[in-house]
Order: sequence, then C-alpha cells, then structure tokens
Amino acid sequence: MATLNPPAAGKRHSFWKTAWEKSFAYQLLFPALLLLVMVQVYPTLYSINLSLNQVKGGQFTWVGFNNYDRLFSSSDFIDSLQKTATYAGSYLVLVVILAMCVALLLNQRARLTPVYVTILFVPWVLSEVVTGTMWRWLFQQDYGIVQVALNPLINNTSLLSNDVGAMVIVVAAAVWRSLPFTSLLFLGALQTVSTEIKEAGALDGASAWQSFWRLTIPIISPTLLVVILMTSIGGINALGLILATTAGGPGTATTTASVLLYREAWKYGDFGAAATLAVFLFFINMALTLVYFRVVKVEA
Amino acid sequence: MIQFKNRKLFNSVVTNGLLILICFVMIYPPLYALMTSFKPLGDVITAPPTFFPSTWTLEGYETVFNSDMFRVYLPNTAFNAFLSALVAMPFAALAGYSFSRYKFRGSKALQLAILGLMMIPGITNLLAIYRIGSQLRLLNTNLIIIAWYAAGGVPYTIWIIKAFFDAIPHEMEEAALMDGCSPLMSLWYIVIPLAMPGLFASFLMNFIGFWNEFLAAVVLLSSNEARTATVGLYDFQSQYEIAYNVLTAACIMIMLPVLIIFIIGRKTFFQAMLEGALKG
Repeated sequence: MATLNPPAAGKRHSFWKTAWEKSFAYQLLFPALLLLVMVQVYPTLYSINLSLNQVKGGQFTWVGFNNYDRLFSSSDFIDSLQKTATYAGSYLVLVVILAMCVALLLNQRARLTPVYVTILFVPWVLSEVVTGTMWRWLFQQDYGIVQVALNPLINNTSLLSNDVGAMVIVVAAAVWRSLPFTSLLFLGALQTVSTEIKEAGALDGASAWQSFWRLTIPIISPTLLVVILMTSIGGINALGLILATTAGGPGTATTTASVLLYREAWKYGDFGAAATLAVFLFFINMALTLVYFRVVKVEA
Repeated sequence: MIQFKNRKLFNSVVTNGLLILICFVMIYPPLYALMTSFKPLGDVITAPPTFFPSTWTLEGYETVFNSDMFRVYLPNTAFNAFLSALVAMPFAALAGYSFSRYKFRGSKALQLAILGLMMIPGITNLLAIYRIGSQLRLLNTNLIIIAWYAAGGVPYTIWIIKAFFDAIPHEMEEAALMDGCSPLMSLWYIVIPLAMPGLFASFLMNFIGFWNEFLAAVVLLSSNEARTATVGLYDFQSQYEIAYNVLTAACIMIMLPVLIIFIIGRKTFFQAMLEGALKG
C-alpha cells in the first residue's frame, strides 16, 4: 500500500497543528466509527447486558446467568437448534455444490451472454418477502402449480403443512435466492485459473475430474473457504425469508433459533430470553468470524 | 478432426442446455408471479392451476393501487432507501479514503474490526435498537430506520469504495498536494470524480438492499403511516390470504423498480460485488 506524502510542514507549524495533521487519517475515519459504535457496537453490548438481567416493565434486575440456565434447559431451544442445524446445513451444502456447478458451466463459455447473466441474477434482486410470497404461492394446497405438479409423486401431501415439506420449501427458496451471488463469486475465482495450468494438466494425462480436484480446487480454495463461512453465517442467521415463507410453521417445524428469538421478543415480549438467544447467536457468529479472519489472513 | 469438432459441439450443447434449464428454474417463480398478477380472482382459486390467465385483467393491480401499499408503503420505502443509501456514502467514502491512502497504526486492525461488524447477526442488535428506540420514542420514525440502514451498509460500502480508490493512481493527488491543495479537496475534486462509477454502483447496491429489507422494517416500523412495502406485503399475506392475484401484483410492483436498476447497472454491480466480497 503506497502512502501519500503529506505536504511539507511549514516552518511556523505549532506542535498542535502538526499533531492535528498527523492524525488526519483517524479524523477521516471518525464519522464512520462513531456511527458504527452507536448503531452496531453499543446495541451488541446492550443485548449482552439485557441477557444478564430480568426485564419487567422497563425495570432491569440483575440475574447473572439465570437466563442462560433457563435457555439451555428449555426444550424449545434444543428443538430450535436442531432446526437451525438442518436448515443451515442443507442450505450450505446445496448452495456450495449448485453454485459451483453453475459457475463451472458459465466458465465453459468463452463469452458470457448478458441474457444468461441477467436472468440468472433475477433472484438476487428480490426481497425476502417477495421470494417467500412467490414460493408460498407455488406450493398452495390445491392451487399451487408446483404442488399440483408434484401431487402424483408425493401422495397429495400438502408440502406447506407438512413438517419435512415446509423445511424443504424454505431451504429451496433460500438456495434459489443465494445461488446467483455465490455462483458469481465462484466464477470470478475460476477465471483466475489460467488455461496454461489446465493445458499442462491435460498434457500430463489428467482427466477433467482429476484436473478439477487437483488443480482448480487448490487454486480457488481461498474463495471456497470464504464462501463456506459466509454461507454458514447466512444460514444460521436466516430469519426474514423463513418468516415470510412459513412463519416458523407448521407448528415449530421451521422454527430455527432466529425465528424462536423473534417469537420470544415480539410475540411473547420476553426480551430477557430473546436477548440470551441473541447473545448465543452472536458468539456462534463470532467464532465463525475468527475462522474467517484466519482464512483472509492466509489469503493476504 | 471431425470427431473433435463433434465433441466440441456436444459439449457446447450440453453446457447451454443445462444453463437454459438453470435459467428456467431461476426465472420461473417471478414469471409465474407475473402471470398470476394478471389473473382474475376466479383463476387463482381454480384447481388445477394454469400458467396463463384465462382472461387478462388488471384487477390485482387495481386493488394494490387503491390500497395503502401504493399510497403509503411504496413511497415510504423509496424515501427510506434513497436517504439511507445517500447518508451512508460520505461516511464510507471518508473512511475508504483513509484506509486506501494512509498508513497508520491500527489500520489493518480497524479494517478487520469493521469487517467483523458485518458478521454480527442483525437480530442481536435489532433487539437492542428496538428497546432503545422505544425508550427514546424513535420507533416508527424515519430517523431510526435510516440510521440503522446507513450503519448496516457502511462496512460493506467502505470495502467496495476502498477497492475502487486503490485502483486510482496517486500521481495526480500528489501533484495537487504539492500545489497546496488540501487532502480533502483532492479527495473531492480528483479521487471522487475518478471513482464515480464505483461510488454510484455501491450507492445503487445499498439502495436495492434497503428497498428490499424486511426484518428491521417489521420490527422498527409498525405503524401504518411508517410501514414499508415489504412489511406491507407481509401483512397482505394474512389480509388477502388466498387472493394471490393481488399478492403477486404487489410482489411485481415491489420488484420492478430494483429489477430495472439492476438491469441498467449490471456491469458495474458485478465488478463492485467481486471487489467487495473477495478483496478482504
């Protein structure tokens, strides 16, 4: 990283003036940092504090880790963790594999037709609620066009009101929506693999399959790791799309930890319990982020 | 040789065939929503469903146009999204300039910390913002949602802007500094004009994100006057439970503006997204 030379200091510059000029880089950062501290850092600390208190009518009473005991022993929580694992796990696997396939296909073409890319990217610009509404419509009991098409295969089970079916629909909608962006990231990485390397591999008798696993994957592994981590984080925190598609139902079939948090806070008004869950999710995210930082460092 | 040619042709046919299939899957839900939005109510409660409307009608759109969706929610959405995207720019541009042009103690650590902020689950902070907002009587105001969106967009925008600034050669600024131009003036008159395509792309990407945002809007804006389009659509789901011609008409009206922006700005978007996502 090159640095700009500050203008040569004048003779009469006082100590304070020099100090002021030297701190210029920090001054430029100040507005952004202030905003982030107020709207991102402080609320996190507030949530942590909230999780250590019992809240009744705006009154905080310190209860230590009581909320955590309550949370970890509740069956709703354990159940929601299972749902989160199912959701985030299948979302991760499907997004990574399918996006890699799409990227490999796009990479086959010498020139990308704008029509392909534009159509592929439509899901990316859609809101979670719009996506949820559209997918619900596809799976309405008697009137949903995909549900009706699938009926002979699934014994007329209404997928939206079936535990497994609802989970499948939510995951499918989420994968559908994330596929464009992830494919683009993979495509960007694939395009850095030079044709010389592949040709050299082919000359040495490597099959396409071998050359993918032995040559391409190692070269794009930094991107692959970043995508895996970001997708895991996205899957664990998913909330809007689930609310809009199934609202956590039927029953608690798609109630992941985030959905449970939303319910505790805004349906039942139990902000202590909700904050405990929020802090729990926060630490899971931070753990993944630390891994992410290690990966980014390796890359740099 | 002929065999080689055939093999190439075969590959191309398979590749394109699969790509067309994928495109079909990606475009089908919105396309079917578009068809549904032109159906009369009778069509959407007919089993089995058909792809095309039996008669083309604007009934669904009429209902949306005469509802608060068009009168209140969509204008609110446009206002919030535009202002938030605008507010985020100077914050991110100054910080991006600092990271791009100056070497100082803690630069790398601060960049990582800002990246780390992006990983905090939104709901963790929303919970606190909701409580703080209700104490300060800021719920249902534009101020709270704009602050939330702007702060949410700033980290990512810093990354993208820094990448674009990095790509601009330093010679012109150095010459300007020699001539007695202040660093802020050289940022404003030299760097920003040169980075304009990137800045504009990140502005539009933020706008699209804020336009589509749902979770913060549903939590922080509950009054009818403050409600945004995505929250309105969420409520529509219970109000027009089975009237999917109305619901899909609302979907189309929400997605159309951002779709148009995306199609126009496509090229710069892709560049900006790759810069932001991978140059960490």
